[in-house]
Amino acid sequence: MNWIKIAQVGQVDEDESLAVDIDGKKLALHFTQGEYFVSDNVCTHQYALLSDGYIEDGCVECPLHQAQFDLRTGKAMCAPATVDIQVYPVKTEGEDIFVSL
Amino acid sequence: MTDVSSILVIGAGQAAAVAVAALRDQGYQGRVTVVGDEAHAPYERPPLSKDVLAALDTEEPGISVKEADFFSQRDIDLKLGRQVVSLDAEARQATLSDGTVIAYDRCLLATGGTARQLPGFPAQSPQVHYLRTLDDARRLRAALRASRRAVVIGGGFLGLEVASTARRMGVEVSIIETAARVLARAVPEAFSDWLQARVAASGARLYLGQAIAQASLGEAGQPARIILADGTTLDTDMIVVAVGLTPATGLAQQAGLKLDPVNAGIQVDAQCRSSDPFVYAAGDCTSQLRDGYPGPLRLESWQNANEQARIAACAMVGAPAEPAAYPWFWTDQFDCNVQMLGLPQPDLRYVTRGQPDPQGPAPKFIMLGMRDGRPCHALAVNAGGDLRALRPLLERALPVDAQRFTDESVAMRAFAKAALAEAAG
Repeated sequence: MNWIKIAQVGQVDEDESLAVDIDGKKLALHFTQGEYFVSDNVCTHQYALLSDGYIEDGCVECPLHQAQFDLRTGKAMCAPATVDIQVYPVKTEGEDIFVSL
Repeated sequence: MTDVSSILVIGAGQAAAVAVAALRDQGYQGRVTVVGDEAHAPYERPPLSKDVLAALDTEEPGISVKEADFFSQRDIDLKLGRQVVSLDAEARQATLSDGTVIAYDRCLLATGGTARQLPGFPAQSPQVHYLRTLDDARRLRAALRASRRAVVIGGGFLGLEVASTARRMGVEVSIIETAARVLARAVPEAFSDWLQARVAASGARLYLGQAIAQASLGEAGQPARIILADGTTLDTDMIVVAVGLTPATGLAQQAGLKLDPVNAGIQVDAQCRSSDPFVYAAGDCTSQLRDGYPGPLRLESWQNANEQARIAACAMVGAPAEPAAYPWFWTDQFDCNVQMLGLPQPDLRYVTRGQPDPQGPAPKFIMLGMRDGRPCHALAVNAGGDLRALRPLLERALPVDAQRFTDESVAMRAFAKAALAEAAG
């Protein structure tokens, strides 16, 4: 796997998300319950950044129309979204957080 | 659940689709029939005034509530392009326009409504448009594309959304509203002021507090003329009438169900049951009492259609249901996503966090309406994530310190967490 550094530990607060662009790809790094997750940042329903959304119970909720996506699987959990988002493997090494695209 | 083996859903919109999905999710295995008068399988209406209107014919966005094979896969008999012409609550059966008679154990009225007609603006007139259905939206789209000027009658949510889309498409827009401000029944005055400035910045013209004195609709291809009470003359290529919704209650009346005398909706209880124990109703056509609000409400929202459908479906098969979610509504217009939590009430005091700048590319602010220091209504512009963080405070009507709320140096989520922790003691 090709690991790319996406951020540093401590850069994202608990239950917060950070927008990161890598190679023109819009990604969101989420931090909840001590774990990091990386997903596509654009909602599959309509253009909105999930990094502006809300995290609860392992899901990120879109700020526009409250569609929810499971951070672990990317699965669209409720209307109005019907298409899943892509999620990516994440690892931390020391103070650095890496993603594999 | 044992005595229910046949459920008839009348109407094939958002509420109908959500209800039948919920029936199957509850494990109900009996017959389900859905009858809709439109040719289309259930679709979402919010995009009709926005993306569907602005789309190219060949690139219309997908707006189906459920995937194409959902109804056949879940053994739901979807009868489209047919009307229910009579509903006999005593015999528990309905008759369709093609003569079919359908008997039911439980019936769900998800009939929605029709665009309220404005006298003098017949829908058949070539320049006049009403917007409720996908077919309406397609006809309106073609007209907007062929027009230089449009007049929108009605400064409510739908009228403003259409005006916004029309501006995006390069059409000159004039909006006529009889009230002194836009969205007068839904938002506080300060919000109307902001939105009016935003509308003006888009180049659309607003005529507020104006009655129509005279209208002459020409032949097809000819401009129409509207003269306002103050003498202003508006020549236009097309007219969009967006003056509200008339709930579709013809069948309910025929079946002898009770309607609300004020809002004209079908009276339903907390389980969405009508005055007939075997008939339920969900969505735009209903009138319901809700905790915290003095009178019955007829809510025209995507969320209400979903929530009532879910609750009605559970009640029809005798399954318990989570209570309805806190009222939530959104509109996308003039490059802003506007969301509302709760419902407007008289005598709320509003405090604003952020700068309601009408000009910028993406202004961001939240207005919180409070009574006795507790929030009951919130409006967020381009701040859905922040509004979401506030939701538990509104749901539980927890006390909020107005000064701390407006302090932008503290993130909204941190503020909400602190308020929740304080309430927990």
